[in-house]
Amino acid sequence: MTERVGIVAVAQTKYSPNRADANEGELVYEAVRQVLQETGLKFAQDGSGIDATVTCSQDFWDGRTISSCNVMSYVGHHHSDEDKVAEDSLNAVYTAFARILSGHQDVILVATHCKESQGDKRGIENAAMDPIFLRVLGLDFLSAAALQARRYMYKYGITPEQCARVVVKNRGNAKRNPLAQEPMEITVEDVLGSQVLASPIRQLDSKPTSDGACAMILAREGKAKKLARKPIWILGASNCYETNYLGDRDLAECDALVTAAKKAYKMAGIKDVMNQVNVAEISEEYSYQELLWMEGLGFCQRGEAGRLLDSGVTQMGGQLPVNPSGGMLAGNPTVVAGMARAAEAVLQLRGEAGEHQAEGAKKALVHGFTGACGQLQGVMILGN
Amino acid sequence: MGNRVAIVGIGQTYHKSARKDVNQQEMVGEAVRAALADAQMKAKDVEAVFTSNMETFEGLFLPDHLMADEIAAYMKPGLKVATGGTSGASVVEEGFHFVASGLFDTALVIGFEKQDTGDTTAAITAAVTPVWGKGVATGAIGEFAKQALTYMERSGAKEEHAAMVRLKADKGACRNPYAHLKLGLKSIKEVLDSGYLVWPLRLLDFCPQSCGACALILASESRAKKITKKPVWIADVVTVHQEPFRAGSFGDPTGTEEYSQDIAAERLYKRNGITNPMKDICMAEIYEPSNWEEMSHYEHYHFCEKGEGWKLVEKGITEMEGAFPVNPSGGVIATNPIGGTPTIRVAEAALQVRGDAGEHQVTRDVHTAVATALGGPNWTVMTLLRRSL
Amino acid sequence: MTTEKTAEKKPEYLKVEIARPRSYKWSSGKYLGKLYKEALEKKKLVTNRCPKCKQLMWPPMAVCGRCNVATGEDWVEMSDTGTVVQYTYLVFPLWDPHYGDRLANPYPTATIKLDNGVFLVHFLEEKDPEKLKKVKRVQAVWKEEGRGRGLADILCFRTIEE
Repeated sequence: MTERVGIVAVAQTKYSPNRADANEGELVYEAVRQVLQETGLKFAQDGSGIDATVTCSQDFWDGRTISSCNVMSYVGHHHSDEDKVAEDSLNAVYTAFARILSGHQDVILVATHCKESQGDKRGIENAAMDPIFLRVLGLDFLSAAALQARRYMYKYGITPEQCARVVVKNRGNAKRNPLAQEPMEITVEDVLGSQVLASPIRQLDSKPTSDGACAMILAREGKAKKLARKPIWILGASNCYETNYLGDRDLAECDALVTAAKKAYKMAGIKDVMNQVNVAEISEEYSYQELLWMEGLGFCQRGEAGRLLDSGVTQMGGQLPVNPSGGMLAGNPTVVAGMARAAEAVLQLRGEAGEHQAEGAKKALVHGFTGACGQLQGVMILGN
Repeated sequence: MGNRVAIVGIGQTYHKSARKDVNQQEMVGEAVRAALADAQMKAKDVEAVFTSNMETFEGLFLPDHLMADEIAAYMKPGLKVATGGTSGASVVEEGFHFVASGLFDTALVIGFEKQDTGDTTAAITAAVTPVWGKGVATGAIGEFAKQALTYMERSGAKEEHAAMVRLKADKGACRNPYAHLKLGLKSIKEVLDSGYLVWPLRLLDFCPQSCGACALILASESRAKKITKKPVWIADVVTVHQEPFRAGSFGDPTGTEEYSQDIAAERLYKRNGITNPMKDICMAEIYEPSNWEEMSHYEHYHFCEKGEGWKLVEKGITEMEGAFPVNPSGGVIATNPIGGTPTIRVAEAALQVRGDAGEHQVTRDVHTAVATALGGPNWTVMTLLRRSL
Repeated sequence: MTTEKTAEKKPEYLKVEIARPRSYKWSSGKYLGKLYKEALEKKKLVTNRCPKCKQLMWPPMAVCGRCNVATGEDWVEMSDTGTVVQYTYLVFPLWDPHYGDRLANPYPTATIKLDNGVFLVHFLEEKDPEKLKKVKRVQAVWKEEGRGRGLADILCFRTIEE
């Protein structure tokens, strides 16, 4: 195989419910500035610096056609190559990964942003629904998720208490993450007593509104070794689409995730994820998702994720801590979430996660999804 | 370096102003099926799917998700890009990188827009800086008008030259079964007699809003040679963005700033040993939203010296039978489904290299072609295609 | 005017209209915010300068995209008089899709070089196409009331006698 692709620098803004003090570009720059400083890289067209930029944002969320224009000046696009991916940002990392593997480019800046405080979440998500049949129902990703949660719980006996324990774990983990938006010391009763949003999903089962940005720099192995003391290698990566119409899917299943995971694991030589991966950062916008996605990732048999969580294996200090950062539930914007998971995994593998460090992290699993009930799933395996 | 990548399948819809007979998925499905048929491949042979679409035009968030089945993406990897006018070429670029990387041996690349579904001018106006740009924006038309004025002043081009370009485009469109606007224009006088839209642009000088899709199938070298006897190699893709001009949106009236087109052309030619573009390259499919811009782009892409673009037109050099044909397909002025327009430029250039452009095949033998894209605040993507590497 | 083939019998289409407004709360950010504030409170146009290339930013921004450096707080008050560099004349009505205002029809827009440097795109007051050809020096006409929309706080640019 050709040279590997390394992540040489990462930065995230502190996630916040409302960053009215900064526009999208200024927000992204808070993260971009950090990775530029850390590596000392400049934007250049002669191979001496950053060759290209991949941005990630959604026009619907930014309320702007060509939303990359919101950040273009801040990410070095002038007289340079920039492309904008319009999915969850783990896909932007995947794109940069492919570009470097192709040999066409060596060093790439990846930057993503989303300010959920600015947009009408329900209206935006409703606009993703089939205009003829589904939009008029007022369906959005929350109600779609509620359908999935209900189906998943019915088919496999997952309980609301088990879902609530995901929230307790992640909001609790967030207390040790200085960038986390809303760490909370809460109980299962608090979660089950919170207001119903769309049954069975309650307020505390759901992530809060969040503004934030994330940036990272990827480089071809030869350059990565010069740019970072400890480059983190992308050992495997893939994504996968599911069919669109919710009625055509058994929502208790996540075949797209199973497929994406298989491909990523194969690339990375992972045959036994529970024993070969030391830490996982999984995108969980709603509490049931952490359980469902763990099953899709092969952490356990179908229907066993609740028991896996209760066994303590995925807690801090357990065999495979999941979301030591607090995950999306502690406050992460959509779109940014996937790359944020990757940034956190990089910190874990570099041993720089401070108080939320998972012990002995050598390989990390990163997951991100886009669309209703995770129609597009992405998985990456990172290693040091 | 990575794998070599070729275009092995090309498909388009018959572009129209409205496609009320189909929804978005069905329309895109037409182009996908056409590309698969052209490559004699089945949907399962496609390993990944990349799409381009400016979703605010249709008011549909995550369109690639809605049409996952129709675009053969079910249980497959892929993603969508959205960079504005250049989006349809950015998606070709990503397909190129992904196949070259070895992650996939085949990929489907799709650009489309169904502009009967929304208000295009409003969506374009929505591309300005959200806070301060509102209220004073005029859509793309006013900006192109100013650029035409600049070109007239600087180069000495006359309205007759713009009319000649319009006539050339229509001749091509009338011979291109897929083109949208086929006006059957007979003379320069007919063009000059039509009314002004925004002076000096006439109604005829500007591109339409089209509904259409274009799909390309890319393959790595080993697969390409098994799929087709006539692979069209993607030799290189160069993307150059730029900060907005200080004195204009798509053009610089002061004449002091660099254009992304110049820079992209320089990089592309240097990287690929092209020293005399009109000789080393056989034809071009360029992204010209107006005929005025076509002439100025000849200069920016270094087909000729600055200020001389209109002379190429006057001498008939860029006609289908000419020494350096440009836009024999009719160009953007005949067909413009925004998210797909640059993909169509690549597809049309590829058809020329393959010798499969039928009635709009150029006279000159095409072993090398260039396709360009324009968007945003004058961003450029240039794709170089070759019959053999 | 197009020569599309027509079907023998045109099918009838049922039309379902979904009007679902989506509102946004955009932040101006610090730099644009200052421009807005000065326009609202003092009817002044301000912008900042890049420390590296020394050019004035337009609009004011935290980073100079050409130099890739943070710009800092070197603010400049700009004159609201300038010279018309280019103009064009729109003859079809346009609705501002964000504020819902109907822009006057016909109306001329121009690129105006303000006296201390930046190029501004705005409307001209002069509507007569013949007189427009002679317009050179212009001055901003500010709204007396209802300001707070940044550049739209200027109604148009009026021809001034030199």
